[in-house]
Order: sequence, then C-alpha cells, then structure tokens
Amino acid sequence: MCGIVGFLDKTQNRNAPVGKTVLTMLTALGVRGPDSAGVALYTPPENGAFTLQVKLGELDGAAERGTSIAEGVKAFGSVQKVKTTAEYLRLVIDLQGEPRVLTQFIESLDEDIEVVSMGRELEIVKQVGTPQNLDATHGVSTFLGTHGIGHTRLSTESRVDLSHSQPFWAHNYPDLAIVHNGHITNYHKLRCIYEQRGVRFYTENDSEIIGVYLADQLSQGLTFKEALDASLADLDGSFSYLAATENYIGFAKDPFAFKPLLFTETDDYVAVATEEIAIRAAFGDGYEVREAQAKDVAIWQT
Amino acid sequence: MADIICDGKTTRDINAEIKRLIANGETDICMRNPVARHNLGVAILQSVKLTFDGSVGYYCAGMVDGPTVEIKGSAGWGLAESMMGGTVTVEGNAGNGAAASIRGGTVVVHSDAASRLGVSMKGGLIIVGGNCGYMAGFMAQRGTMIVCGDTGEAFADSMYEAVCFVGGNIAELGNDAIIEQPTAEDLTFLESTLSQHLPSRVGNSQAPIRNFKKVVSGRKLWNFDKDERSVWREAL
Repeated sequence: MCGIVGFLDKTQNRNAPVGKTVLTMLTALGVRGPDSAGVALYTPPENGAFTLQVKLGELDGAAERGTSIAEGVKAFGSVQKVKTTAEYLRLVIDLQGEPRVLTQFIESLDEDIEVVSMGRELEIVKQVGTPQNLDATHGVSTFLGTHGIGHTRLSTESRVDLSHSQPFWAHNYPDLAIVHNGHITNYHKLRCIYEQRGVRFYTENDSEIIGVYLADQLSQGLTFKEALDASLADLDGSFSYLAATENYIGFAKDPFAFKPLLFTETDDYVAVATEEIAIRAAFGDGYEVREAQAKDVAIWQT
Repeated sequence: MADIICDGKTTRDINAEIKRLIANGETDICMRNPVARHNLGVAILQSVKLTFDGSVGYYCAGMVDGPTVEIKGSAGWGLAESMMGGTVTVEGNAGNGAAASIRGGTVVVHSDAASRLGVSMKGGLIIVGGNCGYMAGFMAQRGTMIVCGDTGEAFADSMYEAVCFVGGNIAELGNDAIIEQPTAEDLTFLESTLSQHLPSRVGNSQAPIRNFKKVVSGRKLWNFDKDERSVWREAL
C-alpha cells in the first residue's frame, strides 16, 4: 500500500505553491505508507541550467564525496550553485555537453553516489520517514513552481532506503519522474530486456521499471500520451502511476483497476491522489472528485 | 437533530458517538466535515437517518441494516459493502466496489460509480444515475441493478439471478450475460423506482425508460456440461 499524489497549476502561474500543495496532500496520505516520503517538483529553469540532486550516501565521508563532486563537475560547465543538505548535494550547472556523461562522471566517483534527479525543471527529494520529516529536512513546502508529484511508501518487496524510495527519476532522461502504487509483475522480464540493452538499474524496486519504460518509449518518438497508453499493454500487474515531465503530468491505471486513484480538475488546477482525503486536505470543498476507471490514461499540459 | 463535528476526532470516536446518540434515542444525526475519511457509519443496525455533509472515504455505511444514509459528496471504495437493509444515497460519485455483496436495501449513486459495482450482490437494489465502470455485477446472485448511463467492460459477468437494466451503452457484455427485452412489468418497475429515487432521470430524453436494456444471465455457466466445453474455455 502506497500513496501517490499529483498537482498541476493551470493558471500559468510559474510560482504556484507546488511544494506546499504536494506536501499537504502527501501528509494526508501518510498513514498509507510510513516507510518513506518523496516529491518530484517542477519549476521554470534557472537560465536554462540543469539542477541535480545527488545522493552522497553513507554519512561517513559524505562531505569529502560532496567536495570531489563539486570540484569535478567544473569540467562540464559553469557551476552556479552548490549546496549540501542532509544526504544530498544540490548542484545547478550550466551544462556543456551530454547530461548522461555528467551523471556517469558523478556516479563514477564512489559507489554510494547516485544522481537522484536531473533536469532543467525537475528536482526530487526523498528520504526514509514521514512527509513532515521530509519538509523539515528540505523545506519542501517553500518550493514554488508549476507542477509536482509525490509518494509515501509502504514497502512490500524491496528494502527501505533512500534509493528505493519514490519518486523515481528515469535515469538519464532529464525531467522525467514517476510515482507508482501497486506491483509490476513482469518487472523481472522487462528488467532483463533493458539490462541486455545496457540500461543500469539502481534498485530492486519494481516501480523503477516504469520510468525506464517511459523513457524508452519517449526516446523512440512516442508522445507523452502515447507512451502512457502503451504502458497499459506492456506493464502487467497492479498499477496506478503518475508520470511527469517539464511539460506534462499524467496518470495511467491498470486494466483491472486494482489500485485506487482519484482526480479532480477545475479551471485553476488538476489534483490526483490515491485517496480523496488528500485532495480535500489541500483544496477543501467546491469541486467534484472521481475515481479513474480501469485503463484510464489522462494527461495535462502545463 | 444531532450534529457530530468530525474535526479532531478519530474515526473510532465518531462511530462511537453515532452509536451513543442512537442509544439515547436520537434518530437524525449529521456528521459535519467528514473530509473523505474512511470507515464512517459502519454496522448501524437501527432505522435512523445519518447525513454526511461532505465526501466520505472507504467503506462508508458498510454492514448496515436499516439506516437511511445520505452522503452530500463523493464516496470512496466499498460504499455500503455487505449491507443488509436501509438506503444509502451518494450525491456525487462512488469509488470501486460500491454496494458489493449487499443482501438487501437500496444504494443510489447520483453520478458515476467506478469499477466492480455490486459484485456478488445477493439482493437489494442499486441505482446509478450516471455511468459505471468495469466488471459491474460480476457473479451477482440476486437483486436488481439499474445504470442510467453507460457501463464499462465485462458487464454482468457470470451472474446468477440478478437482473440489470442499462439506459446507455454497454461497452462489453461479460461472460454468459445476455440482453433481453424488458417486459411491461419491468418498464413499470423502472418508472416507479426511478421516480422515487432519481426523479431527475425520469422523462430525460437522453435515456427514455422504454430504451433501457435488460441484462440477465444466459444460464450457460450454471451447470457444467462437458458438451459445452467451449463456453467454459472462453469464460475461464
């Protein structure tokens, strides 16, 4: 049992209180999954630069790893910001060259290091513990932007740590993130196919495959909507998932409607959540909420 | 009339308060600010009126026998599950598994119901003003389901003696479900039932009563017959 939420501001406000809204929804769903909490939030880019959230790993030696990353990345472009918060190093870099080359360099510095998110608009923070703790560490509620997704986890299959928490960035596909409630039963088969093609998996969490899958579909030229539609046939098992890019937010629900997912859309915003309790907590009254049907796919553009 | 302000109370507190008020003779109770919380108003066995002035979460009015429950918002999964008697009305939409396994009573959803509406119902009456999702009426044994709008796929799959009426389109009939011509008696029943529970629907040119389709079991799956293996192969 996990809780997922999504929010998109429809008023062209580039400074909507995305962090506060997603956090409020997530907090209301906290009882669904006390293991970990995370958010993927989108804000217009700082001068077209890339923002990276990098997991430094074990506290012992984290500071040194942070320093060597900050030094090393100077070779890839002009570094605009560097800040360490808890287990994370946040970097803003005016990247010259391929994003993939930069993430590969950073992760080559130490096996504990993982680039948790990378994108012109995307930032992911996630950690073991409650949504409230996530806010206390990262100040999520002050984040302004256009849209975001969030996740609160009750682990059923894989270990409880930062890397196995959600949202998942689709590694090496800038700005694409997913949150998932359910269980992808053809995970091992799909993972095997992607590994043969050289894709690296960072966790043993079946949800990670969704980001990898969508990145693959988008790379092949499918639109965001087409990629989500295709997933209904290619992913097996139970899923309600949300995916987001710099331009879109969308959800897909499996053909058996195993997992809950509700949404509401007004003139001003779109809100999606595992339970209505999350939407009511963030938006009060005055709109209609409905459960998505089996095989439903819906997307919204920023 | 008594009010229960839900803010700051645990679910257990609210349900205990409902029961305490009923024990003290209260017959009309309103829950204020339920904000889509779960498991409210369950296992109420008296003929009282319960009103929720907003949306409710999962399993609202489950296992009840007798009350008249009004929900002035939407309902989550498992609305009125396993209810024995009474009436449960939702002004908005209902989540998956609404009125699953009911044995009696009436469940009215003014707008849409999601997947698995009335699965395994063993009696009672379900009325949906809008559309219903996938697999409604699966293995329904007795009772009546009326859907004024469209249905999802696998509608009325593997039913026993339940009877369904559909005003709109059926996306796909389930295994062994067949469409029958409604009788004059059926149309009278629909007219009077909808007039009582969903008056806005009656006379609606979008779905006149005479256009309702009646869906019942084809009875091919009731008894195993080895000469009809192909029927079973498809069903399973």
